[in-house]
Amino acid sequence: MKQAVRDQLGRIVAVALLATIAWAWFWRPPFSWTFGVLVAIGTVGAGIADGRYALRRIAGVIPVLVGVSFVVFALMASLPGDPAINILGPAATADQIAIVRTELGLDEPFFNRYGNWLGGVLTGDLGTSIVLREDVADGISRSMTPTLQIMAYSVVIALGFAIPLGIWAGYRQGTKTDGTINNVMLGFLATPNFVLAVMLVLFLSIGGLSVAGNEIGFRVLPAARYVPLGEDVVLHFKHMLLPSLALAMGQAAVFMRLLRSDMIATLRLPFIDLARSKGLPTRRILWRHALRPSSFTLLTVVGLTVGLLIGGALIVEFIFTIPGVGAYIFLGVTQRDFIAVQGGVLVISTLYIVVLTMSDFLYLSLDPRLRGREVGARA
Amino acid sequence: MRKRLGFVFWLAVAYLVVLALAAVFADVLPIKDPAETFPGTSKQGPSLTHWFGNDGVGRDVFSRVIYGAQVSLVISTVGTVLALVIGGLLGMVSGYFSSRVDRWLTATLNASLVIPPLILFLALVLFLDGEAKRRIFILVFTFVLLSIAPIARVVRAATLSWAGQDFVLAARTLGARDGRVLFREILPNVAPSFVSYSLIIMAGLIVVEGSVAFLGLSVPPPTPTWGDMINKGRTNLDVAAHISLMPAIVMFVTVLALNFVGDKLQQYFEPRESVL
Repeated sequence: MKQAVRDQLGRIVAVALLATIAWAWFWRPPFSWTFGVLVAIGTVGAGIADGRYALRRIAGVIPVLVGVSFVVFALMASLPGDPAINILGPAATADQIAIVRTELGLDEPFFNRYGNWLGGVLTGDLGTSIVLREDVADGISRSMTPTLQIMAYSVVIALGFAIPLGIWAGYRQGTKTDGTINNVMLGFLATPNFVLAVMLVLFLSIGGLSVAGNEIGFRVLPAARYVPLGEDVVLHFKHMLLPSLALAMGQAAVFMRLLRSDMIATLRLPFIDLARSKGLPTRRILWRHALRPSSFTLLTVVGLTVGLLIGGALIVEFIFTIPGVGAYIFLGVTQRDFIAVQGGVLVISTLYIVVLTMSDFLYLSLDPRLRGREVGARA
Repeated sequence: MRKRLGFVFWLAVAYLVVLALAAVFADVLPIKDPAETFPGTSKQGPSLTHWFGNDGVGRDVFSRVIYGAQVSLVISTVGTVLALVIGGLLGMVSGYFSSRVDRWLTATLNASLVIPPLILFLALVLFLDGEAKRRIFILVFTFVLLSIAPIARVVRAATLSWAGQDFVLAARTLGARDGRVLFREILPNVAPSFVSYSLIIMAGLIVVEGSVAFLGLSVPPPTPTWGDMINKGRTNLDVAAHISLMPAIVMFVTVLALNFVGDKLQQYFEPRESVL
């Protein structure tokens, strides 16, 4: 296929991806549908960018997925104590235990159980939660929305801080401006997200410290609770701002440092001199010419940090009492509900693998120099 | 030209040394008992007798922060050292013996990264029973598991670049065995990137331990931990913010100092790669 055609198709695919996400947001179809559609579109896009590479990459992902599912299942199966006793309590009779064990399929050999579970997983059946008495797949897809929202907002916020600051610091390398930006960002890097979250609550929502009767801080944003997007858009963003900020600033620091170092390298290249000698304004050189070739590492790392974001989302959900996936798994853990936990861990790992693979593909379609070559984009 | 490390570097080192010493000698230092409740001092702000103030039930926040440092530092140090030994060895082997060994190791390490750390941790927490010792063991085990892959990667990359050098070829031509080449020729050259990176890993582990403690899943009370103190302090955030603020500040400064020292060392040893 001609390169120009490919590029156009790539753009269409990108728009389709965004459209799917928007569709999923407003019409909220079952989570598995959205997921399937996203994967399908992503695969088509990857195929357009580089067919053979995409196929090989996807073939490589399958064993990893199977491996992860096995590890998760084995981990949960080797938990100390009988799950049946956990459900029934210590006073249960032998008959009751036997019934529950049959109900959970625990009396079958390990590999049969794994096979049954995997078969269920493939058809979208993650089992029934022990404590909540609810379909795990339903529970997860319900709690997925807030988590994905927090993650998306915080990536946007992080990039919003990181891109301008990274460009600027790279351009002004070695000056006081550069030093200041670097030091401030190093500070954010060193702030654990739960510490930042507590500080944000303290200074922006409950009035901050009171010194000699004066408040040093504000009461402008709500500290907790989740408002769905469909219920009230303004309130939704108001409630999401603090959690997203808490999650975003650490990422912003990582992104900014990466972009800065790549910017410095790019700005030394001859084509920048050319652009300069043509008399283009600095802003245009930085944003149009230097940004794209400098953003590849950043892009890969954005994909990689999704794993960190999920962990961070868990903490933030805990602090701001948001009913997300992290909170779901956390509840499962504290109540020893192994079916819920194994479902949650599997879904999140799968999501993470898919995002990683997608970011590899994106990398490929953004940097034409790499096409036809093997990319180990996991830096 | 050798770069100077600068005043702030030594300030950070001094802070870390003081903190470590305070944590190690907490029992003999003239500080208050972290479990003792002082009547009538509940939620009192910082004062001369209680430097960091008192918490919700009147315990001395300063001494609890010092004792909390024990947990954070012990777990993160042990975790980092173990991960350094295992990850470093794997990375060196993977970078030195190329082809098949390398491919398997790299694939395994990459696969181990697909479960997000905190989530993996939560799954493992299900194995925890109340006992404190067992809990610390599982914490350290998980932290090692989490940090092996990143360390192995950094070391592998460094080994790869050194293994191609002439002096390594020379040693091999002279008939040196692989083990000798790895430990006598390559290790000394790779070591600097090890050390500076390990500090950053350690900072990361302190944060993870803090997060876990914040969720109430680290070493159980009455042992004080920074994360737990910050979490418990949240209930009094509007009336006595210092209960959360003090451990938060100490934790922030510690992580910042570790990152800073690690960064500076990296620049000092490898000026070329200092951009990241």
